[in-house]
Amino acid sequence: MSNINGKVYAMNVVTPMKPWKTWLLRGFFFILGHVKALQTDLINLHFIQFARWVIVPRNAFPFFGGTQKREELKYDYLLFFSNFNGTWNQYIDAFSAVLSRGLNLIWRWSEKFPGSVPVTPFKSYITSVQFDTDYYFSAYPEATINDVESAHIVQREFETLARSAAALPANEFRAAYQQFVLKVQSHLGSTGDAPEVF
Amino acid sequence: MANQSGSVYGLTLLCPIIDDERAIPSHDLQIRYHLSKLPLGPDSPFAVAPGTHLARLVVLDDVIYVGMPTCEEHLHSKYLVFECNCDGDRDSYLTGLVQHIPNQLDAIWSHCTGYPGSKDLPAFLDYMKKCQLDTTFFFAPVNDKSVNQTLSALQTQRAVAAFIATHQGCTDTHLQQDFKVFMDRLQKAPPPPPAAHCFARAMKTGGRNE
Repeated sequence: MSNINGKVYAMNVVTPMKPWKTWLLRGFFFILGHVKALQTDLINLHFIQFARWVIVPRNAFPFFGGTQKREELKYDYLLFFSNFNGTWNQYIDAFSAVLSRGLNLIWRWSEKFPGSVPVTPFKSYITSVQFDTDYYFSAYPEATINDVESAHIVQREFETLARSAAALPANEFRAAYQQFVLKVQSHLGSTGDAPEVF
Repeated sequence: MANQSGSVYGLTLLCPIIDDERAIPSHDLQIRYHLSKLPLGPDSPFAVAPGTHLARLVVLDDVIYVGMPTCEEHLHSKYLVFECNCDGDRDSYLTGLVQHIPNQLDAIWSHCTGYPGSKDLPAFLDYMKKCQLDTTFFFAPVNDKSVNQTLSALQTQRAVAAFIATHQGCTDTHLQQDFKVFMDRLQKAPPPPPAAHCFARAMKTGGRNE
């Protein structure tokens, strides 16, 4: 069992919601999905590779009959799955410090959510509703989301230079190469094993 | 459709685990034991099958009671949660899993109620569709690159850094000649296998304070 694979942490959070409140949350997610400006803080944090929220209505748990009993629930459930870089504490701290308003709009509909500020009760709440991951796979565990974004920039610039490399005279190639180095130099950070934080 | 973000598909499955009091150990424990032995590197089933960026398997024992005045309630079944971010769409991804790792799928999902096995592809796809939960909101900052494109880009990044470091102060001609050789080699190189850079960790739990 591990929530961590290389530089990525898998968080699983399950919280109960009164069914009438889930429609308000669906409305908020609809707006968040269609107004990209509202995602700016989330994007600027640069430490989430993928994240998703899934609302499970109380009568929508998969049922196959036979010996399985149908669920009899009063609450809908909000599932949150995040793949982030860094430690659990760094993640929760950053969420609390930078995204508190957005987080409150998402989780305020969940029962007993204390708010994301102050951070101590927020961490206690997340701790109580988090499930550990039994198996966690990453195709590129050595890379953070910043590494991935940088690698694609380097790839794009490399392909641009490669298209003209053969045709240019040597002195012009050097000028093009130097421009290439200037463009990619801040995107060459090395990838590798994650540091252990104590 | 919130399951799709660009070219990345967010697949979430909630599969009820068989509740059989005669099974020793119980089916949820058998899944957990099996998952604890699965490799994470290039021989991981999700590295062998194509198209998985990130995937997780979680046994959901029950829902959480968060305290008064909330009503306390419990699930009748335990569930296997499969959450992955993959290339393409649901059916093509699942078909790829069946084609490449049918035995691994059966070893995990045979502990789930109603699982038809991987030999009958239409039944398998139908089962997974019934277990699927639609994503309400999907956040994917890089959603236009496949797994292989990202693996190739990371390979290029490492190679370019090394090339630049070893070609400082070269003459123009030397630099251009070496770059052509480097460029040909890199462009012909296949993408590295997924999870090739998987590091063993001394600390495995990923506890709350890590």
